[in-house]
Amino acid sequence: RYVRQLQRLQLLFSPTAADARGARQFVEEAAQDFARQHPDVVLYVSPHSGPGPAPVLRAEYLNGTVREELIASKTSEEIVQLATKLANQSGLDIIRIRKPFHTDNPSIQGQWHPLTNKPSILTVQGPRMQPQ
Amino acid sequence: AAPPPEKKRWLRAYLELQRLQAPPQRRSEKPNWDYHAEIQAFSHRLQENFALDLLKTAFVNPCYIDSEEARRRELGLDKDAVALHLQDNAKLAEQGLRFARAYLTQSFEGAYPDLPAKGIEALVHFLTSEELVSYVAQNLSIQDLALCRDFPAPPDVLQRTFLAVVGALLESSGPERTGIFVRDFFIPQLIGKDLFEIWEVVNPMGLLLEELTKRNISAPEPRITRQLGVSTVLPLYFVGLYCDKKILAEGPGETLLAAEEEAARVALRKLYGYTENRRPWDYSKPKQGLAAEKAISSN
Repeated sequence: RYVRQLQRLQLLFSPTAADARGARQFVEEAAQDFARQHPDVVLYVSPHSGPGPAPVLRAEYLNGTVREELIASKTSEEIVQLATKLANQSGLDIIRIRKPFHTDNPSIQGQWHPLTNKPSILTVQGPRMQPQ
Repeated sequence: AAPPPEKKRWLRAYLELQRLQAPPQRRSEKPNWDYHAEIQAFSHRLQENFALDLLKTAFVNPCYIDSEEARRRELGLDKDAVALHLQDNAKLAEQGLRFARAYLTQSFEGAYPDLPAKGIEALVHFLTSEELVSYVAQNLSIQDLALCRDFPAPPDVLQRTFLAVVGALLESSGPERTGIFVRDFFIPQLIGKDLFEIWEVVNPMGLLLEELTKRNISAPEPRITRQLGVSTVLPLYFVGLYCDKKILAEGPGETLLAAEEEAARVALRKLYGYTENRRPWDYSKPKQGLAAEKAISSN
């Protein structure tokens, strides 16, 4: 069955800073809807008062990866899109995919080895041997 | 991760070192943790309806209760405050283990009817072993929710907690849903695994002879089918097993004995229906089998 890999989202923002305006609007308008649509993600909203670090959305996944995305000067809709993007990701590292294809069955009739399509000893006809 | 802006810039390196050398802490001790919300999210994540109080009992381990009582006694509280009114998860874990074993045995007996009881027992034992269950539990974040004495939680604690979760599901939703849960989380761990990696067979040739006598087929005759590099350091022999002049199985090996043993293993895999190209497991919704589930619940 499908298990959503996102465990929790922590929204850390400041209630007075100017670049956290989108984050504040998100909390007022869209955060409840988001939490209702994704009941398996725990959403923590923690405003830290006073001038502090930039507003950030921290996502923790089931395999332990913690991913932080800056939401400074983003609108509420953009933050919703970002949150849904994080909710649909798995916690694997975001690295270059080496090949865009993968198969679980690399060989259908059996992988070739030097002895396929060679006659077996039992049917080899030597100069004086008959096939057994 | 932006550390809180400290007052002196030249302290930055030292504080960073302190942060990196700090011992790992439980997630419940870090900021932003709501146990009730996490448990609700856990039940939604698994797409199951749990009775929340049963689920909370399932996460309580006996070592946690002992350590908490010891801590309270050390702090000097009186007897009433010391006693924690918490049930631990031993009973639920035992129920979960029994149900999981019975369900898995039944499903394997249905899917591989030729596999002998010892093979099925080996498969079930592998699937409920500490290693596998603790790996599954880690990836479902049970190590954050489980209450236990040591951190990080040892694998037997994780196994016990996960089986207790299965037991709690059994109590809240009944055997059918729990059967589907066990099937969805345990059986995919068999993908890519070979039968004889899980089941240790010491004498495959003897086992093969037993199986063939049960089916009234004559004893297999081993013949060399192919050989390569006989006089080198790494020879390769393909030995084929023939019953009544018809081929049964063929296996490669470095020496003739190794090749014969491998051929016997290949023959056993074919007979038990556990080859690599068998039909994959059926994960569709079960419509029938109510009588079977009742048989499990009466265990």
